[in-house]
Amino acid sequence: MRMDCERVGVLHGPARALAEVSLSLAPGEHVLLCGPAGSGKTTLLKVLAGLLRPTSGAVRWDGEDVAHLDEAGRRRRQASLGMVFQTDALFDSRTVLENVLLPLHNRGVGREEARARAEAALEAVGLLQAARMRPEALSGGMRKRAGIARALVVAPEVLFADDPLAGQDPATARALGELLDRQAAGRTLVVSSPEPPPVLTIQRWWVVDGGRLVHDGPPAPALIGVEEGT
Amino acid sequence: MSAVLAALGRGTLAAARAAGQSALVLGRTLRAAPRMNRRELLRAFGHFGWESLGICLWVAVVIGVMVVVQSGLYANRFGARMALGWASGFAVTWEFGPLLLGVVLAARVGARNAAELAVLKAGGQLEGLSGISLDPYPVLLAPRWVAITASTGMLASVTLLVAVCMEVVSAWASLGVPPRVFTGSMADALGWQDVLGGTTKALFFGAAVATVSTAVGLRASGGARGVGLAAASAVVRSSFAIFGLDLLLTPVLAAGLSR
Amino acid sequence: MIPGPFTTAVRTAQAVARRGLSARDCLEQVHDQGNRTVALVVTALSFFGAVMVTIAYAQARKITGNLATVGPPYLELLVRDFGPLTCALLAAARCGAASAAELSAMAVNEQVEALELCNGDPYSDLVAPRFVGALVAVPLLCILGTSAAAVSAALTARYVFLTDGMAFLDPRFIDGWDLLSGGLKALLAAAWIPLAASSRGLAARGGSAAVGEATTDGVVVACVGSIVLVAAVGLLFQLLGV
Repeated sequence: MRMDCERVGVLHGPARALAEVSLSLAPGEHVLLCGPAGSGKTTLLKVLAGLLRPTSGAVRWDGEDVAHLDEAGRRRRQASLGMVFQTDALFDSRTVLENVLLPLHNRGVGREEARARAEAALEAVGLLQAARMRPEALSGGMRKRAGIARALVVAPEVLFADDPLAGQDPATARALGELLDRQAAGRTLVVSSPEPPPVLTIQRWWVVDGGRLVHDGPPAPALIGVEEGT
Repeated sequence: MSAVLAALGRGTLAAARAAGQSALVLGRTLRAAPRMNRRELLRAFGHFGWESLGICLWVAVVIGVMVVVQSGLYANRFGARMALGWASGFAVTWEFGPLLLGVVLAARVGARNAAELAVLKAGGQLEGLSGISLDPYPVLLAPRWVAITASTGMLASVTLLVAVCMEVVSAWASLGVPPRVFTGSMADALGWQDVLGGTTKALFFGAAVATVSTAVGLRASGGARGVGLAAASAVVRSSFAIFGLDLLLTPVLAAGLSR
Repeated sequence: MIPGPFTTAVRTAQAVARRGLSARDCLEQVHDQGNRTVALVVTALSFFGAVMVTIAYAQARKITGNLATVGPPYLELLVRDFGPLTCALLAAARCGAASAAELSAMAVNEQVEALELCNGDPYSDLVAPRFVGALVAVPLLCILGTSAAAVSAALTARYVFLTDGMAFLDPRFIDGWDLLSGGLKALLAAAWIPLAASSRGLAARGGSAAVGEATTDGVVVACVGSIVLVAAVGLLFQLLGV
């Protein structure tokens, strides 16, 4: 799916979270969304995923304005999106397996097939043995992996990952980076992070600052004050 | 039979544990109170006190109307309208006023306190405070406790006053008792002791709500569902604490303030 | 713009019409809101029943009367006004706080957005089960609470004040209109509480303070709305003269 933002602005109450952001995302591209804390990374991801309605401007999916889509149309398109949330956003009252099964059940996938796919997704992130545990019993890294499994189980065309490596120790961060890199093959990927994550190979960078897109192009570590090669 | 006994035992143990936790919270809070953070105290007074005024006024209206309707049963049957003021005033200041106010504040204030603390706990922020060697009691918990208790006392006096005014109005509107007769009967029979008794009760109820909701919030676990359960159980346990206190306080205060 | 309870009701109805309703979630909510509130409502109403008799006794002593004569009108008052109002207030406090706190914690932790990307719908998957749960649980709680208050009043009159306790269980003044009035009050409050609490919960944005604020808002709107609805029904019946 191709995604375009045209002069998108978002107001959170009186505060401006995004202003005049225009960009486009072609199928299969891998993009890093960089910027300091509070610069609007999460807001931009949610606008692209259709979870947040922009206050001004337009978001287009394959050329169709998201604001003009009806409920069914929006849902049909959102079905090919996956998102790894900053806060994991796992449902506490369900087990890890039930969390991963939920998107499949809601899409009407049959019981047997859903189970097989959910277990495959959990296996891919190395969490199969924790399938029956509740999210609160997991470590931070495991929760993040469960979130990745839930996003990937529907085989999304576009995968958004909101600061997936935040708060992880270096070894876990590396493992998560490798996992994302492996899973990104053949799909569109947008990863947000305050600094370039290790392992992930990404050709295109978006840099936001104060709600504005200040860079859209090849990696530009100097822009965010990081030495080349880190 | 053994199942009943086991359930009884479990219940007793749970109640004892809850009481112990509350006592611990109360002790630590009182010890930390002299060192508490003034800014947080002001914020807590705003959130728990000032912002509760609206619902307290609603409660006052309900109490006033309800009590007059209840007493009216009597007054009409015996033609004893002269005594209506006394009867209504007594009921409001001693029982219905403090009790209903306590339960509503358990919901308005206790649920909020417990939910906020539960979220802080789930997010690791409370441990974070201890991690930078800040004691959460003077910084966060004591100011809330003091604000909740003191606000409840102040809100109680306002609520009781408004409830009595509402009684005058509703006695006049529904039973046709002239305001002068009503207030006259009330002034004859009620003294400052009755108002003081009700307000004292409310003060104790406020302390119970503050203590119980803090203890419940600090013990919460399990994400969003845990936050919801903490808020709900703060309401339930505070209410039980209020009923228990009411049973203890009514005879003590009645004896202490008797004329 | 925060969607209010009425908008929430419309959206929930639309979402349920489109996507159906999970029986398992509804049952879970009946348990959460019903069973977990029974102890509170029964204790509180028994307590209030005893308190009302105590006050009535004080009045009876002051005014030359005997306590038993207020029994039947007292029961009518309980069934028509006092029982539904107090039970609805308690249910609004307990269930309103629980729903508002849980939903606001979900909203703040991005779980509501995650649900949308899981092809779920917060209105049909979260609000609707709470609505059904309350619609079943709250009227039952009102019946239980009202009965508890009546029984406790009778026991207090009999064993504390040594008068005829059965007078407080004498239904001679209760007619169909009283039952209709009480039942209508309970049903309206039951419908209002989950909608008010859920709409405030889902609208929460921010951190722990937002959860606290949404919980409070949910409780206040649920309580005040219940009071207003109960009063409105009472007024309507008064105007109808029944």
